[in-house]
Amino acid sequence: MLMESSPYGIEKKKLGMWVFIISDACTFAAFLFAYGYMRVGAPVWGTPFEFSSILNGMLMTAVLLSSSLTMLAAVRAAQAGTKASANKWLGVTMLLGAIFAALHLREWFKLIGEGWRLFYNPTGGAAQFGATFFSVTGLHLTHVVTGVIALGFIARGYNQGRYDESHVETAGLYWHFVDLVWMFVFPLMYLMNAQ
Amino acid sequence: MSTTRQLAMSSYVGIGVGLMVIVCIEVILTYQHLPTRTLLFSLLCLASLEGFVAIMYLMQVKYERPILFWTIFPVTLFVLIFLNYLWPDAFRMFNMRLLQ
Repeated sequence: MLMESSPYGIEKKKLGMWVFIISDACTFAAFLFAYGYMRVGAPVWGTPFEFSSILNGMLMTAVLLSSSLTMLAAVRAAQAGTKASANKWLGVTMLLGAIFAALHLREWFKLIGEGWRLFYNPTGGAAQFGATFFSVTGLHLTHVVTGVIALGFIARGYNQGRYDESHVETAGLYWHFVDLVWMFVFPLMYLMNAQ
Repeated sequence: MSTTRQLAMSSYVGIGVGLMVIVCIEVILTYQHLPTRTLLFSLLCLASLEGFVAIMYLMQVKYERPILFWTIFPVTLFVLIFLNYLWPDAFRMFNMRLLQ
């Protein structure tokens, strides 16, 4: 059977990941646009984040950025055929993802402890703050947790020889996308609501 | 394929540090007490710059065939801009009533 090569010069699973990323980018954009209009349109909006929360957000950003670099190292090692090194870097990436999730949940519990709920603003401002904040950051957190689990499966399969370096590269693409989304979520959800 | 021409790992660390510097600039801007719309616009511009760098270098689009970039990004940007254009129209729903 004659098979045409891809005009993009990439494997079909990677192209599939790009299509997923585009659709996911539109989902996040819809959430962020909705939030942006409500944020700018509301006469009184809650600004719950003290400087300690902003520092926590910066730490989360540094952790996620570092995990992108370790993911790159994992892809490099997989492409070079050094299995042990690739697994090590995948493990570090998963660990950093888990740290990010823990820092994220710490921030959530702090807000919940202060009385913020999905439809309640304890400062008397717009009640939509909770709905937008928890839904956008929750969607992102779901992506991080899913990514950590997916990386675990990829690492296991790669170790057992069921997956090759292209699987690691495709998983890396997803992980970088999660990082990319955070670059918009942090300034819009945290910095725009700093005290 | 993306494996042919890539930067050294130390260059990627430099890119990561550069992205973190942009985040610090965003935080500094936040505490300048700018008007909401000005701050939103500034943060969006900086976040877009970060996003562009991440797409080109971390997601390695720079090292793929140009057709991938030209197939994906103009279309995605068009959809996102249109999404932004259509959102305010949704506010009409608040004033819509069925004809009696």
